[in-house]
Amino acid sequence: MSLMIQDFSVVYRDGDHSIQAVEEATLAVKEGECLALVGESGSGKTSLGKACLGLLPQNAETTGRILLNDRYMDFSNDMALNAIRWQKIAMVFQNGAETLNPSYRIIDQVAEPVMKLAGRSRKEALHRASRALLEMGLPENCYRHYPHQLSGGQVQRSLLAMATILDPDILILDEPTSALDALNKGFVSDIIEDYKQRGKGVLLITHDLAFAVAHGDEMAVLYLGQVMETLPAREMFSNPLHPYTLALGRSYPTMGTARELGGIRGDAFYRLVHQHGRGDAAQYHHSHIQIPESAHMDGHAPPVGCLFQGRCTQTIEACRTGIVTLETVAHHRVRCLRRGIVSILSLQGISKRYDEKTALHPTDLVLKAGDLLSLVGETGSGKTTLAMIAAGVLAQDRGSRILEDRDMDEWLKKDVRSMARKVGVVYQNPAASISHRFTVLDAVAEPLAIHGLGLGKDERKEMVKSVLVDVHLSTDDTFLGRYPHELNMGALQRVCIARALILTPSLLIADEPTSALDPSVQAKVLKLLLDLQTERGLTMLFVSHDIALARKISDRMGIMLSGYLVELGRASRIISNPVHPYTKMLLEGAGGNRQQGWKVPPDGEPSKGCPFFPRCPKGKNICQEEFPSIHKSEHGWVACHFVDV
Amino acid sequence: MQGGAKEKRFFRSDLGLVATFCLAALVMSWISYALPRFLPGDFVTATYGASQVTLTAQEEAALRADQEPQGGFGHYLWRLARFDWGYSYVFNTPVSVLFLGALPWTLLLMGSAHIISMVIGFVAGVEAAWRRNSAIEKGMVGGMTVLEGIPEICTGVILLFVFALQLQWFPTAGAETAYGEPGFLGHMADVVRHLALPLGTLVLAYFPGNFLLTRNSMVMVIMADYINTARAKGLPPLRIRYVHAARNALLPVVNRFGIRLAFMITGALVVERINSYPGVGTLLYNAIAARDLPVIQMVVLMSSLIILAVFFALEWAYRIIDPRIRHAR
Repeated sequence: MSLMIQDFSVVYRDGDHSIQAVEEATLAVKEGECLALVGESGSGKTSLGKACLGLLPQNAETTGRILLNDRYMDFSNDMALNAIRWQKIAMVFQNGAETLNPSYRIIDQVAEPVMKLAGRSRKEALHRASRALLEMGLPENCYRHYPHQLSGGQVQRSLLAMATILDPDILILDEPTSALDALNKGFVSDIIEDYKQRGKGVLLITHDLAFAVAHGDEMAVLYLGQVMETLPAREMFSNPLHPYTLALGRSYPTMGTARELGGIRGDAFYRLVHQHGRGDAAQYHHSHIQIPESAHMDGHAPPVGCLFQGRCTQTIEACRTGIVTLETVAHHRVRCLRRGIVSILSLQGISKRYDEKTALHPTDLVLKAGDLLSLVGETGSGKTTLAMIAAGVLAQDRGSRILEDRDMDEWLKKDVRSMARKVGVVYQNPAASISHRFTVLDAVAEPLAIHGLGLGKDERKEMVKSVLVDVHLSTDDTFLGRYPHELNMGALQRVCIARALILTPSLLIADEPTSALDPSVQAKVLKLLLDLQTERGLTMLFVSHDIALARKISDRMGIMLSGYLVELGRASRIISNPVHPYTKMLLEGAGGNRQQGWKVPPDGEPSKGCPFFPRCPKGKNICQEEFPSIHKSEHGWVACHFVDV
Repeated sequence: MQGGAKEKRFFRSDLGLVATFCLAALVMSWISYALPRFLPGDFVTATYGASQVTLTAQEEAALRADQEPQGGFGHYLWRLARFDWGYSYVFNTPVSVLFLGALPWTLLLMGSAHIISMVIGFVAGVEAAWRRNSAIEKGMVGGMTVLEGIPEICTGVILLFVFALQLQWFPTAGAETAYGEPGFLGHMADVVRHLALPLGTLVLAYFPGNFLLTRNSMVMVIMADYINTARAKGLPPLRIRYVHAARNALLPVVNRFGIRLAFMITGALVVERINSYPGVGTLLYNAIAARDLPVIQMVVLMSSLIILAVFFALEWAYRIIDPRIRHAR
């Protein structure tokens, strides 16, 4: 019992133009498995679902094939299709009550397939229908109701009862949970699990990523009709390879996410396929993303390049011109020329000593494009040292740094300026980081001057203005002429951020950027940083001693202690399930609780063993003897002897 | 069960409905009772004004006294209930006899015209909507739009000219042949032959509207999500078309049917005149021409009461057709 979709495309004809809804999708609903289709509205999910039942409207043209139980489905033969519909493949449509006929009682609609398709008597059909409704947990006095009398949840139950009444081989669920609260989702879960267990296939189309992860085996991420990535569903949040999958996950609220929701910059438009009119040299069919307002008459891009390029945060020149195919990367299939999310910065075995004191023990750290990593820890734990090494401001004693696939140290030697352009830095104290003799214009434009980009005065001013708009500051001449002491701290910090951004760096390092600000200003600045991450795809390294603050903006978090990175992982995991006792202590401290076993950190550091030992409530002898080995887990690690405790 | 409470609530709301209609009927009756007092012109002037007979003042007073409305509103209602609707000045016959004599012909004509045009219009509309954007459908919509624009007075005259005067297939006037063929079947055939032309005219006048309305309503219904569900269920096309779609497209058509029924009597006026069909329309026309006040009064009152009754019946029909109305409060 399987459903194979092979090279399937759907194009909706609309006058001269056509809209490409699905493009060469190859997907499989395997026996006993649930395939989850996710993606934004308009990505072609529902078109694909309807296509499996031959329900596309008349203006739809399809190519490719669909195999049900290894046999090709013949969409031109209505009789053959009717033999498959509902008996082999049934679907629960989205939009709830609108998919039920308003003029008939619920039970009659549920019983209809039994009567008309299975050819049973009305009495038996009604009996079976009422049993099915009962199994769905619909109260008995609702059976004879009309659709408009039911609540959204009851409608969804009825739809499921109707879809499962002939026990089809393949069940297609289109947004089955959108009308349901968290408690009512349970019965949908039960059906999916039941179908999987009995070796049937489920195609789950949903926005509900958490639900998809919970019940999907395989997941396909669709964007503008293209399959962008296929991956095991459970890796949706933890290991997305395509930037779109990452952005999608970041837009979705789960109970685990602590940070503010991100989003995906720009909007998904639709794809037009069309032929140029008479007298046009380029008279060929091609597709491109259509922005509704823009006329397509002008010279637009030919049908190459990645569809996601306009919204992607790691677009390179090749993305605009290259041909992007679905390729196997690790155990995923990814449609990305850069083979998934690239790593911007990679630090390996970085260590640093200041005279006698070891500021940083050998540490590895990788930042992927669009990642926002917070380094959290108490004062003197090495956060700033690590950040400054990452920024290229400070040199490490040992280890290597790789920025955008180039060895940073070599790059620094050869061409400091071009390297420095890649990294923007925002410092803790905005007042101190801007010369008091500089106006706003001077301060923000300074990097342009330093890097000698040879721009005219007016051009510079325009660039300054545009970056000030990005950080939500005024652009009028009075503001541009202000001096630092005339501005409040929030505005000043935003000027600093603008200064860091004017060279469009790919990595932004912010060292306690908000600690000098009051809470309301701080909130604005943090929101700004998140917006910048969404809009510019900035990779950010955020240094803070405040874990409560970091949790609101971080994708990942690194916990630092005495020059060690003792715990690293997804921010949501660290917040909800901290492993290292030090992390727990930081979290409790952030909650305002007085910690048990809190002792003043000793002045001298132990030469060996765990640096947290003197304060650790779990400390044993072994902690004193040797530094704990690193336990790798879920894209992070923990350095503690008692990980399992 | 909650059913009981619901039934009771229905009952109460129905009572309200009945009361409303009764009140409306009373108001109508009062207007028809009061109306003659405000109307300009009277029977005496209309009859003798242009004639060579000169009435003495005494005769005129006697005639007028004869026509003076008697008794109050209560008395008037009592007379209505007893079918004592007064005497026609012109025919010198009780109005009730005139009215009840004309009513069956109008009912026959209008009833059959409405039913036939509705059935044909509905089925054609459903089928056309199903074949949307085909050449047949486009042609039908165009043709029907044109036909809808031709007034019935026009089609009536043309039909009369072609089929009665030129081809002589059908009689030109009347509802039956006086002293016609004996026997039930022969009589029926005669009635149908007389009915054909006015009926044809009315069907041609009403059917395009029903067609267009059904088609438009059906086109919307076909796009509804539940039709997609019905298709997904693998049901036979005829069932999807009629059981699932047409049922929901029915409402506006029934609505129009009801509104048309309300014009049953006045709507027949033109056609009945063209074909000299002895229905209520003809009766009213003649009465107006002769200022035959009691007849006008009763025809108007009875038409309005029939309209009320039809609306009342429609209210019930809607509830059966569309359950959503039943539960709307």
